[in-house]
Amino acid sequence: MREVVIAGVGLHPCGRFGDKPYVDMGREAVAAALKDAGIAWSEVQAAYCARMYLPATSGARILKTLGMTGIPIADVEAACASGAVALSQAYMAIASGFYDVVLAFGVEKMPRGFMDPSAIYEDWQIRMGLAVNPMYWAIAAKRHMADYGATALQMAKVSVKNHKNARTNPYAMYRREVSVEEVLSSRMVCDPITLLMVCAPNEGAAAAIVCSAEFARKHSARPVQVAACVPRTSLYPWFRAPAAYVSARPNPPSVTTRAAREAYEMAGIGPQDLDLVELQDTDACSEIIASEELGLCPVGEGGRLVDEGISEIGGRLPINPSGGLLSNGEPIGASHLRQIAETVWQLRGEAGERQVEGARVGLCHVVGAGGNAAVTILKR
Amino acid sequence: MTDAAETANVHSKKRVPIKEGFLTTPLSDLREAKLQGSRCASCGEVFLGIQHGCQSCGATGMETVVLSNRGKLYSYTVLRNRPPGNYMGPDPFVPFAVGLIELPEGIRVISPLTHCNLDSLHVNMDVELALDRLYEDEEGSEVIAFSFRPE
Ligand SMILES: [Zn+2]
Repeated sequence: MREVVIAGVGLHPCGRFGDKPYVDMGREAVAAALKDAGIAWSEVQAAYCARMYLPATSGARILKTLGMTGIPIADVEAACASGAVALSQAYMAIASGFYDVVLAFGVEKMPRGFMDPSAIYEDWQIRMGLAVNPMYWAIAAKRHMADYGATALQMAKVSVKNHKNARTNPYAMYRREVSVEEVLSSRMVCDPITLLMVCAPNEGAAAAIVCSAEFARKHSARPVQVAACVPRTSLYPWFRAPAAYVSARPNPPSVTTRAAREAYEMAGIGPQDLDLVELQDTDACSEIIASEELGLCPVGEGGRLVDEGISEIGGRLPINPSGGLLSNGEPIGASHLRQIAETVWQLRGEAGERQVEGARVGLCHVVGAGGNAAVTILKR
Repeated sequence: MTDAAETANVHSKKRVPIKEGFLTTPLSDLREAKLQGSRCASCGEVFLGIQHGCQSCGATGMETVVLSNRGKLYSYTVLRNRPPGNYMGPDPFVPFAVGLIELPEGIRVISPLTHCNLDSLHVNMDVELALDRLYEDEEGSEVIAFSFRPE
């Protein structure tokens, strides 16, 4: 297998952009990535477009605006892990030697507020009022509180940290600092999760130019290595949308844990080697739980990472230096590749005021509907 | 029994379950009906409703089981906003609790919690099945949904 690198990345900001067509958003991210990589569009040999709520052949509709070069262009979808599946396809194509340059990109245009429930849930769940994504996060949070003593205060601190990190992220949707009091007193969504503890579904686009190390040497001065890219689905059971029931037997390792273990093995590094982590904080408690599942701390101690300042920029292991989903929102198809862009900038020392000093290894994690999850490890 | 449950027990209209296979029949007396599931003959895993294959081990031999109407509240939350889409609950919206109910058969079912005080819920409390009319469908049948309530 050949070494695979990312030669360039590009982002369209996260947020809500009214009538701006997704084609324009996607094209801007791709153009920025090509420019960053110093690679011409005509050199790209294949493209994978991650999107969830956009129409068929979104990838081809976006890329034709750069010129129809006749390459294979496929749309991929795996809920919140869609972008990771696009990256994984590019990774495998390069690693196997089939291609030298592949574009992995994601784009999303979303309705305001709740997503259309029929895209994920069955009709009876919607009628009974069970088609509510934060409901799953809240039920998981409540049990984590009962089992391990996680607190609403810790969840509020996670939200405060991520909003603080986003202050200087020009691509984030929310760049305003919030206080613990503000988070705790914001409108209750699903107890114990308040409005300032949940991420917003939104819009954005992100792109990465993936190529062989050999090709990159000729074009890019600052390639970042893809040390592992592992999308997975859950074993039974899976307690997230749209599950209606789960087993009460001792559960196998979660899909996040399984993806992380495989990624660590593939990369030949462990959680102790990480300099920063971008993980799926769809809600503040999910950051606590995912930290444990990724092996960043022992099970039940995720809250300590924020209590002790470990997960802050400047701490031992900064988590979500970009501001995470809590500040960027979740443009589903683009979300993992947005994490990838942030991590590439961090590893190149280009993250400005939110720079994690001396960062050499970063991990990106997503998890969501249908039991999809992914872990990607980048290093320089 | 509450007035609402009493009303739901009046047997006048045709009744159908919220999802085919979720409830035992007949539904003429809602105090007698129960949740129904499938057990894998190979690994013993239990699922809600009719299943043709086991999500845990992949075996295809499934047997129908009647699920206990008493369980424990494994965890819960309160939905403070009207759920999206074609939610058939009260209008205007009334916040309601949703629990993950652990049943003795080895399954945890996501279920609304009804007939309860939102402030008195706690993890591990004993709950029991409650079947009520959720709405009337286009054919005039009463659609019966499940929930759990404190014992
Ligand atoms: Zn089985």
